[in-house]
Amino acid sequence: MKRALVILAAALALASCEEWEPVFTLKNGDVDMYKAAELTPTATIAELKALYAKHGVLKIQDDDMVIKGKVISDDHSGNIYRELYIQDETGVISVKIGLSSLYSDYKLGQTIYVRCGGLTIGQYNGMPQLGVEDQTGEYETAYLDNRYLIDAHVIRGAFGDPVPPLSVTEAQLQEALKEGYTNPLWGQLVTITDLRYGAAGSYASDHFKRIFILLYVDPYKDKKSSTNRVFCSSETYGVTTWAMSKNKFLEYLDAGCFDRCGTSDKGMDDVFDEMTGLTVKESIRANATAVTTSHYFHLPQGLPVQIRTSGFAKFADTEIDPDVIGDLNAQDGVPISATGIVTVYSGAVQLALVDENSVKILK
Amino acid sequence: MIKKLTLAAVALLLSLGLSAQTYTGGVRGTVVSRTDRAPVPGAVLVLYQGTAEVATVTSGDDGRFLIEDLDNGIYDLVIQAPDYLETRVNVTVNDGYVKNMFNLSLTRGAVVSEVDVDNLVEFDMDDTGYGDSPTVLFGQNDVFNNMAGYNFSAVRYRVRGYSSESQDVYLAGVKMNDAITGYSPFSLWSGLNEATRTKYTVNGAEISDYGIGGYNGLTNLPVNALSVRKGWRGSVLTNSQLYRLRLMLTYASGPRDDGWSYAFNVSARLGGNDWVKGVYYRSFAYYAAVEKQFNDAHKIGAVIMGTPGERGAANSSTQEVYDLIGDNMYNSNWGYQNGKVRNARVRKTHEPIAILKYDFTPSHAFNAAATVLYRFGKNGYTALDWYDAQDPRPDYYRNLPSYYFMEEDDYNRLNGMKAAWAEEVWRKDLPQYAHIDWDRLYAVNKMNVEDGARRSKYAVQERRTDQQDLNFAFNFKWRPVRTFTLTGGADAKVNRTEYYQRMDDLLGGDYFYNMDSFAERDYAAFPYMTQNDLDYWLANGRVQKIHVGDKYGYDYYANVRKWNGWLSGKLNIGNFEMAVGGRVGQTAFWRHGLNRKGLFPGLDKDGKPMVIDGRVVTTYDENGEPITSYGKSKVARFLTYAGKVNLNYVLPGGHRFYANAGYFNDAPNFSQSFMSPRTRNQLAPELTTVKTLTGDINYQVSSNGYNFRITGYYTDIMDQAKVMSFYDDSQNSFTNFALTGIDERHVGMEMGWKIPTDIPNLALQGVIGYGEYYYTSNPKMYQTIDNNASIVEGTYGVTVPYWKSHPEPDGTIARHYVESTPQLAVSLGLNWNWNYWFVDADIDYFGHSYLSMNPLYRTDYATAGPDKEVTPFEVSYMCSQEKFDPSWLLNLSVGKSWYIQRKYQLGFSLNAKNLLNNTWVKTGGYEQTRIVKNTVAKQMFYRFDSKYFYMSGFNYMLNIYFRF
Repeated sequence: MKRALVILAAALALASCEEWEPVFTLKNGDVDMYKAAELTPTATIAELKALYAKHGVLKIQDDDMVIKGKVISDDHSGNIYRELYIQDETGVISVKIGLSSLYSDYKLGQTIYVRCGGLTIGQYNGMPQLGVEDQTGEYETAYLDNRYLIDAHVIRGAFGDPVPPLSVTEAQLQEALKEGYTNPLWGQLVTITDLRYGAAGSYASDHFKRIFILLYVDPYKDKKSSTNRVFCSSETYGVTTWAMSKNKFLEYLDAGCFDRCGTSDKGMDDVFDEMTGLTVKESIRANATAVTTSHYFHLPQGLPVQIRTSGFAKFADTEIDPDVIGDLNAQDGVPISATGIVTVYSGAVQLALVDENSVKILK
Repeated sequence: MIKKLTLAAVALLLSLGLSAQTYTGGVRGTVVSRTDRAPVPGAVLVLYQGTAEVATVTSGDDGRFLIEDLDNGIYDLVIQAPDYLETRVNVTVNDGYVKNMFNLSLTRGAVVSEVDVDNLVEFDMDDTGYGDSPTVLFGQNDVFNNMAGYNFSAVRYRVRGYSSESQDVYLAGVKMNDAITGYSPFSLWSGLNEATRTKYTVNGAEISDYGIGGYNGLTNLPVNALSVRKGWRGSVLTNSQLYRLRLMLTYASGPRDDGWSYAFNVSARLGGNDWVKGVYYRSFAYYAAVEKQFNDAHKIGAVIMGTPGERGAANSSTQEVYDLIGDNMYNSNWGYQNGKVRNARVRKTHEPIAILKYDFTPSHAFNAAATVLYRFGKNGYTALDWYDAQDPRPDYYRNLPSYYFMEEDDYNRLNGMKAAWAEEVWRKDLPQYAHIDWDRLYAVNKMNVEDGARRSKYAVQERRTDQQDLNFAFNFKWRPVRTFTLTGGADAKVNRTEYYQRMDDLLGGDYFYNMDSFAERDYAAFPYMTQNDLDYWLANGRVQKIHVGDKYGYDYYANVRKWNGWLSGKLNIGNFEMAVGGRVGQTAFWRHGLNRKGLFPGLDKDGKPMVIDGRVVTTYDENGEPITSYGKSKVARFLTYAGKVNLNYVLPGGHRFYANAGYFNDAPNFSQSFMSPRTRNQLAPELTTVKTLTGDINYQVSSNGYNFRITGYYTDIMDQAKVMSFYDDSQNSFTNFALTGIDERHVGMEMGWKIPTDIPNLALQGVIGYGEYYYTSNPKMYQTIDNNASIVEGTYGVTVPYWKSHPEPDGTIARHYVESTPQLAVSLGLNWNWNYWFVDADIDYFGHSYLSMNPLYRTDYATAGPDKEVTPFEVSYMCSQEKFDPSWLLNLSVGKSWYIQRKYQLGFSLNAKNLLNNTWVKTGGYEQTRIVKNTVAKQMFYRFDSKYFYMSGFNYMLNIYFRF
């Protein structure tokens, strides 16, 4: 019997204290906030970008390379998505972090250090990006989307005041377009004023543009094939929202807004899939998802600016003020100012609005 | 006692009514334990002549019994006592003597009935459509169930492959299976082992005195004061599988001279275990009963019992996670907060049961009982909740190496660098990433200041299922003549269960938005549609802010009404007995929404469509009915009935042959009948009753230390329904899935034995359960999008073509089996007893276990893939059902008790399970209802990895008890 008691005592003693915490206290206590890190930067953002300008896509071998910047992007509306823009006195870099709600962890104005060793500097259609090596070879960089990988490279520093948006002129944008990749304007939080709806004679061959959307007839088939893609560009097609959630898109689709679009070889009512007998439109409908939409604006000297809004943004279905669109033929929309992250896309200016309050009508 | 016996004799005389002759013969003896010759008090002895019951007595404190006034003849005496196997003895009464049988010994059943009824780690199965309740009850008298109950529990064995709902469990004559889910409700009294030790069980389709029952046996726990062993009993128990420490104290007065008797049982179960981190117990239990015998005819009793407390739950993960972290018992539910372990999934319950029971026994030929039982209180389950934030679950599939790199190029997952980073998390078991990072959740909430207060992005919700369950049951037994017995009764149940979410912890924040994040994805520009409480939004013009203790999310009543009437007649002719019984009743249930959800506002209070911002927001189903979250749904009503026949033939020497057949037409459960009960009143289409046809034949012998039973059974269960909700990648949306017309067949045998050997004190024991449980139909499925209740074309009202089987490329047909129980289970063992010592050693084998299937993989959609072409390879790949590896287990139990001054008993038992420390034994799991769709070749889809539960490795339980 004694022995049994000894065994019992031993068994209880073997139990770790850890497992008794919830039994007795049920309290884990309050948690401290993050401790702000302080690292010494070894390079500026401009120096980082210069590496790309010099070498092209580059996996950074210098394990000690650290850049420092303040957070200027805020993804609370979901329009800026999976990118963290940080800015120092020499420019901005977009860190490709493949998670949503980055503003939960990285606050506007907060200092961020990036340990660049092992990361890859590259670009996407002219826009500088810092990510990891894309081993598929499809893009120049890939997302950091594992929290451990992110935390090892993106270090949170002290909180600070948010950087106010920079008012940018048409001339500055023209100049930035000329310089391209290394211009410090790209990625900045800016306010562009005097934007009017529609874009005449944009940078390339487009004659006159209102919106641009790209639909995949069957997203599980080859997305790069022109027979699986439907472009709707130039006119408005009756789209009056900044973008389209899945349901809003279906509303437009069912109202016949996109009936005049088609793939490279088929119209909307042609049979797309012989096996199922679905037409292009029916297949689009069956695979409907939110649609990212670009609205074209132009500045007084004619520089086109695309305001590009994600279909997953919370304000995707927000109506654009009818006065802004105006009478399309008369091109008499009222001017606006818009605040967001300015980027370059294949030699064109794009603006990603922060949220629905980023647009002001100027009358 | 004497009174009772006299009464019995009088009743006997009356019922026979043949002559005025007074019999003087009888039988006496002492019931003792075969193990140690200790007297067994409270054993129930039923004397039969042929199959006709002649008398029933209970052994006294000293194990003695006496049955008098017997005619000359040959009788069969059947003895039952808790913890012992049933035994049968032949008795010959002649020349009017009272025959002394001296010691009648009972063989102990599995000595480990100390195990909790919830003897397995609870897994968090929310929304998976997967249930994990074992169905074997501990401490039964039956030789098969007794051993299977203990030895097979580790692998979640289900008797004959049946689900938990099919097992009827009664408390004081009231059916306690959950009104909403049908599950057997053992957790309501876990920790009250002493109070619930006495049980009366019938197997398969036998008819019980408490009801017609179903096809998977019926167990009644009387729980009255007199059913508890007289005296004090205290025990201290430690085990390594569930909790460290159990303390239990019990007292029962036994029958007192003044007619009163009372009993109580309290316990505490505390601490963690060796195997699953984050799982802990902080559970208490109480039971108090009082009973008063007014005179011979009237007895009234009251019971109150409950098990307040909380326990941490485990979670299942994929094999990838288990392999990387090197532990099949990894639990993703916990993480460190301030360096201390915290579990996100905690079950918090306190559901008291109050019982008032009246027994009426005017004569030996008639007895009746009426019970009122009320179950109430709270039943909660905490879970992480988040809005506007990243998924905090550590084993979310995007956190695993396989999300970044797969050998098979077709997945287009080529990033070895990212995979290496992800792998390091698991290989090194980095606490911040391989477990919930509570510190981060707090930091995020604290940093998220809006309107001068901290809006929580992460929170802990409590999902409540608060029942109010009022039951009335009446039953009677009437034996007008010795050869005929009529039993019958009626019962009614009124249940109102409130399902709601309650804010449990804001994790350092001040409030949480009452928004539907899934709806927001589709309807961000229509704020009214994303409101969980539209009425609040309309009244206040803003989203509701939730504070700790507030209800939010969903809130509805499940209302259930049931009544039944039943009757059975038993005819005894010589050694032959036939019983026929039937029941008829009605089940009705409906949902009553208590909040108006933005997605499904329904009609306004005047019965008109609702209009917000000039838009009509009321939506309608395909029948033109408004889809509503608010108010009362249609009432689903079902006529239920059942019929049974039992045939029984006994032979001298304790042999018994019997056969049972039954047909049942039962209502579906509320939990499987609404498309999406959290959001709307919509009933699943084509709801119908579940039809079951069953038959079994049995041979049993229980005599002189020999116990043996063999059974063959055949059961068809038809028209079952199931609903599930999950995130469906093929729809990019949360969807609801209803399956109807699921048919199963269960055919097999079970055999159990305990046989003395030539070596003194050594017995051979064993059980074999072998069956084939498989699906026999291809059910219909109905898929709707959760956000708008719209029908999904192609998967609504169509047959799941590969549910019951699928063709293999070689042309053979692969059958699909009923999941999550071994269809072959064998236990062989030795039992040795000497001088109050016992040793039990068993080796167990389990095979033919299958993984639970999801219907999505068995559809044309999934097998066709992106190219819409179904190939034999795709069918085989998508539709195959995983069969688990067979496993071996070795168990050993030892125990000893001491009598001190013949007054006190001190003893211990030590059970060591899984001595081989096998940690690779899968006990269940399920397929994730998700598909990998973005492939390179665009020809086929891939499955997501399945999730598994494992059995824990070596574990022990030491129990030390003291009785006086």
